[in-house]
Amino acid sequence: MALSTTVSQRKMIRRKAPRGFLKRIFKRQKPHLRLETSSDLLVHLNCLLFVHRLAEESRINACGSKCGVIKKEHVLAAAKVRSEILFLSTVTLEYHLVRHLCLI
Amino acid sequence: MAYNFSPDSEPTTRTLLRQVLDTAVPRTPRRARSTRSGAQRDLLETPSSRRQRSQTKMTARRRSHTATSVDRLARVQASGHLEEQTPRTLLKNIILTAPESSIVMPEAVVKLVPSPQVVQPSRRKSSRGSLELQLPELEPPTTLAPGLLAPGRRKQRLRLSEFQQGMDWGHLSQEPRENADASSLTSSLNLTFAMPLQPQSVKRPGLARRPPTRRVVDVGTFLQDLRDTSLTVAPPDTVLEDTQPFSQPLAGHSPSVHHSLPCPSPSGAKEVEGAASRRTRSSGPGLQNSCPGKPAQLLARKMEEVEAIAMGLPNTSSVSGEDGIEPLQNGVGEEAEESMEESMSVREVEKAAEEQGSARAEEPEGHTEVAAAAGSLGAIEAKEPEGSSEDEDTSGRLASPELPPSTPEFLRTRRLQFPEPAPPPSTAVLPSELPKHLSARIPPRPRIPGSRPRQDPNKAGLNHYAKLFSFYAKMPMEKKAEEMVEKCLDKYFQHLCNDLEVFAAHAGRKTVRPEDLELLLRRQGLVTDQVSLHVLVERHLPLEYRQLLIPCAFSGNSVFPSQ
Repeated sequence: MALSTTVSQRKMIRRKAPRGFLKRIFKRQKPHLRLETSSDLLVHLNCLLFVHRLAEESRINACGSKCGVIKKEHVLAAAKVRSEILFLSTVTLEYHLVRHLCLI
Repeated sequence: MAYNFSPDSEPTTRTLLRQVLDTAVPRTPRRARSTRSGAQRDLLETPSSRRQRSQTKMTARRRSHTATSVDRLARVQASGHLEEQTPRTLLKNIILTAPESSIVMPEAVVKLVPSPQVVQPSRRKSSRGSLELQLPELEPPTTLAPGLLAPGRRKQRLRLSEFQQGMDWGHLSQEPRENADASSLTSSLNLTFAMPLQPQSVKRPGLARRPPTRRVVDVGTFLQDLRDTSLTVAPPDTVLEDTQPFSQPLAGHSPSVHHSLPCPSPSGAKEVEGAASRRTRSSGPGLQNSCPGKPAQLLARKMEEVEAIAMGLPNTSSVSGEDGIEPLQNGVGEEAEESMEESMSVREVEKAAEEQGSARAEEPEGHTEVAAAAGSLGAIEAKEPEGSSEDEDTSGRLASPELPPSTPEFLRTRRLQFPEPAPPPSTAVLPSELPKHLSARIPPRPRIPGSRPRQDPNKAGLNHYAKLFSFYAKMPMEKKAEEMVEKCLDKYFQHLCNDLEVFAAHAGRKTVRPEDLELLLRRQGLVTDQVSLHVLVERHLPLEYRQLLIPCAFSGNSVFPSQ
């Protein structure tokens, strides 16, 4: 038969997703919305990939400035270049469009 | 061995054993081979010798002195009763010497002649033995008349007392100390503490193992805090103004829980402004953590000044304080006034809720307070850079050291977001949803004084991802860089929630579903026509999550998770 919808307690997952934490964050930001169970994990996946890309970029920056250590400015630059722009520009406009049209 | 036992007054194990022992000698464990006594002797001896060996092994695990003493005792015992050590003899020793005590009803401390056979070396035993070792110092060893044999649980105590008896004969002074030192169990240590007070408790090791003292102090201090604060707060309660729409009478000095409970009601309204609410919430426990009554967080800095003035002096000084604030407000007022009037009222609510001992009962003060509150918030935001250092200095005073690092960053993010073309989503939400939220949802937010600050679970989750960052980077990182990562993650989560909201709304839903997430990933360029979501899931998530996410066919024509 099919597996259970929840992971049994005895299974020790090495890289656990902080599902409670994610749910709480979402609830805090958007209390009027609901987050589904499986989308929780996909959010975690998204976070992982984001962190991964950010780390890659920071590493490139740090190596670019011939530094053996990742510094604040490397991380900042990475964030500005890659994700921030992506987040801010593309979706935010749409978001505000939606808001102002009061689709919710 | 309990073949013939006539029911006694109490058919306990002791009686049973006594019966057994009283019956004819030639009784072997193996009933089939009941033959001459010689053979029985052999049979008896081999188990006894085995037991001896194991026993010596077990004793060797403990102190060597104990072993020697026990052996010595054993020899003494053996010489006393029989030549060889048989289980029968040993059991007889137990019955003869064991006390007729019950676990439930403690008796006077009993010293038994230890029978080496029955001592079983468990760590607990050794710890309990260590307890009993200290007993000999208090009372002279005595032996009780043979009585009812205790049930199995008591057998352990018997063995302990026997053990302890052995300790009497052995190295009395040394071993208690050693055992107490060496025992790693906290229970034993706690019991040793309890020893001089309650020698009776030794008789009930199972009950006495729990350290009784730990919680009492916390509760005591907690109650004390409550009493203190309740005493101090009683007068200002009545004085506080009720002109504020959402102010609760308990916005007093007290950093206690009671006063926090009504505070959540206006603070719940703060949730509407996501970032601001988080900030104020963090300031809330900060305010309440300070026992002297002076919150030192920057977030509440302005409020603090006003409060200090208000608390210290009557209205006039508070007015002057507000005058001081007003020029600031004018300076930075654009931001404060830019936010809607409703937000100001909300903030005023926050101020009313969080200000401690604000003695502004008068209405004019209430009005100015609105301006002051807004101004203070604006001033706070303007003065944030200067305040951050002070914040960190003063944070030492608070019980929430984790807050300052996160909150200044947080404030910085807020400020960064301010000049954005789009107002922060929280404020954008405000006009439409504010009245609805203020009226409808007031989620209770109990605040625990002196405990972990509010941001801590957030930080814990962020730390999780920050560690992943340092892992992915494969390079050493500075602490500041890690803080920066956390800040970025914070922003990222906000953007994520916004995007998901947009997507769900676009689909006409109020629940975020995996399709929305897939769309998000697609937008981010992670999911392409070549790389599908399932591939990413397989690559990065552990197997258990993969099973939950990717539909897979199972036997019986079933698919899980079902589409």
